[in-house]
Amino acid sequence: MSDPVTGVPFRANAIRALSDSALRAAMRNATETFATKRAETVSAVPLEEWRDQASDLRLRVLDHLSDYVDLFERNATRAGAKVHRTEGAKEAREIIASILRGHGIAKVVKSKSMISEEIHLNDFLQKQGVKVVETDFGEYIIQIAGEGPSHIIAPAIHKDRRQVGKLFAEKLGCEYSDDPMVLAAIAKKILRKEFFSAKAGISGANFAIADSGSIVLVTNEGNGRMCTSIPPVHIAVLSIEKIVPSLSDLPKFIRLLPRSATGQILSSYMSVITGTRKPGESTGAEEMHVVLLDNGRSEIVKGEYREMLKCIRCGACLNACPVYRLVGGHAYDSTYPGPMGIVLTALLDGMERAHPLLDATTLCGACGDVCPVKVPLPRLLHSLREQRVEKGFTSRLEQMGMAGFGMVAQSSSLFNLGQAAAHLLWPIARKIGPKDSLDRIPRPVSKTFRKIVS
Amino acid sequence: MTRGKIIDLFIDNTAKAAAEPVRISSSDELNGVLARILAGSDLIFCPFVTEQEKAIKLSPDKLTRDYTAASACVEEVFAAVAETGSLVWTSQGGKPVQAGLVCTHHVAMVSEESIHETLDDFFSSLGDSPPTNITLETGPSRTGDIEMTLTIGVHGPSRLTVIVF
Repeated sequence: MSDPVTGVPFRANAIRALSDSALRAAMRNATETFATKRAETVSAVPLEEWRDQASDLRLRVLDHLSDYVDLFERNATRAGAKVHRTEGAKEAREIIASILRGHGIAKVVKSKSMISEEIHLNDFLQKQGVKVVETDFGEYIIQIAGEGPSHIIAPAIHKDRRQVGKLFAEKLGCEYSDDPMVLAAIAKKILRKEFFSAKAGISGANFAIADSGSIVLVTNEGNGRMCTSIPPVHIAVLSIEKIVPSLSDLPKFIRLLPRSATGQILSSYMSVITGTRKPGESTGAEEMHVVLLDNGRSEIVKGEYREMLKCIRCGACLNACPVYRLVGGHAYDSTYPGPMGIVLTALLDGMERAHPLLDATTLCGACGDVCPVKVPLPRLLHSLREQRVEKGFTSRLEQMGMAGFGMVAQSSSLFNLGQAAAHLLWPIARKIGPKDSLDRIPRPVSKTFRKIVS
Repeated sequence: MTRGKIIDLFIDNTAKAAAEPVRISSSDELNGVLARILAGSDLIFCPFVTEQEKAIKLSPDKLTRDYTAASACVEEVFAAVAETGSLVWTSQGGKPVQAGLVCTHHVAMVSEESIHETLDDFFSSLGDSPPTNITLETGPSRTGDIEMTLTIGVHGPSRLTVIVF
């Protein structure tokens, strides 16, 4: 298939990934460990009931999204935060840069955030002369390596311990070690200084609470807490669909997110941050900015792919996907990989760029089975595949082949003729055709199933 | 669920999250237990905000008012959650919530009455004007970012002791 130059080069990326044995081993280890731990923690709970409740709540928010956004904005403002509503990525980046510029801040510590990847925030800030320090251990590793995340919750999972050891020795000038404890201690020492010297922290948000104007952050390392409580300025950037009606709804999601993501009952740290430090308090930023990003959500919510906005970014569909498990996240060459990533890339970047990614699904349905909020991923992927054809993003040869097959399959005489021809011509095709691929196709037989049963 | 069962569930779940639960029968025992647990710490921070915090006796030469310099932090929780084995800290009363994060050993004092059975019980109790910062802490700081190998204490404490009284 010939991809227009604008499309993601998924096939070439996948071929490269499949021949990288270290990557294959790392991906197998990570996705299997995550999937097994998830299965263990969900086996003892009423999962279906929880999924239904969470899905219903997400839909309720999507049905009245703009009202919930207004409510969140009012309450966050009441709690002392400054809320910036932004349409697109560019506007969001510029607002964040201008906040930092206004304070003369040249260094920020950052807690892992996929939305900041979506708007390419780090590159932008660095070009403006701001040093951005990623503080999640995995993000720190890939930042030093100059790479993007390959998994939405375990960004450096494509690297093994020896690769990280070499990277640290080379870039940080420390002695080589491949012991994760030693490597984590090296990062901790460096990052601790950064936390206490940075004048601003940037975080994402796992959820935002409409009734109280709070943002909710979940981490295992504690870097999210550091970024939001040590520097005097905190900037939280989040997309509008992260909103949950009230704090009393939060447990429904908090029970599902860590279980689906890492197979934990709860992540080590969860922070509910409501505005700025009040009189008499010793915790909380003195200045808090919430950058509420639309970036296409208001349009998506009106269309047939609206349920994609229920996603809580747990990564369970990545770990369950037979394609992601083999090729890893970088092959998708997009902010979000895996099944949810294919749909989001098509919605956010358009079919012209995303269409080759629709080959990265077997439509097996595993993603839909594990989704904690019941995003109908198999249906969305199927529908996008139809759209790919309708919009003309399949190769001429494939279009002609499918049209030809359609014609033949509608006529029993043509179909019989086709089967007979396939059987007769098979030895010739074997000789002149691409050998490897024809070897994987079942050999056409003279006595077909239809002949046996009729 | 009876109070006794809630407490047992809480203790079980703190242990599952790799915290070290210690149960004492009265608050009188507390100082002895603290002295034993903190024997290896050089500098200890305690916010001395709650009655229980004010009642504890720690060797004055080991105490610091600068939580960033402390290797251990001792404090009483705002609440706890049995369902998840979580400790709840808030900015209410002027406590620096980050003190329990920057130390290497965090010691939490949990009174039996402060334990909620479920996350719902706790979050429903907050109303719509919560304190600026509410933090749930469930086990020590951890990461699996290298080969999924469990690595403890990456940014926060590597040891979490939970004293239930």
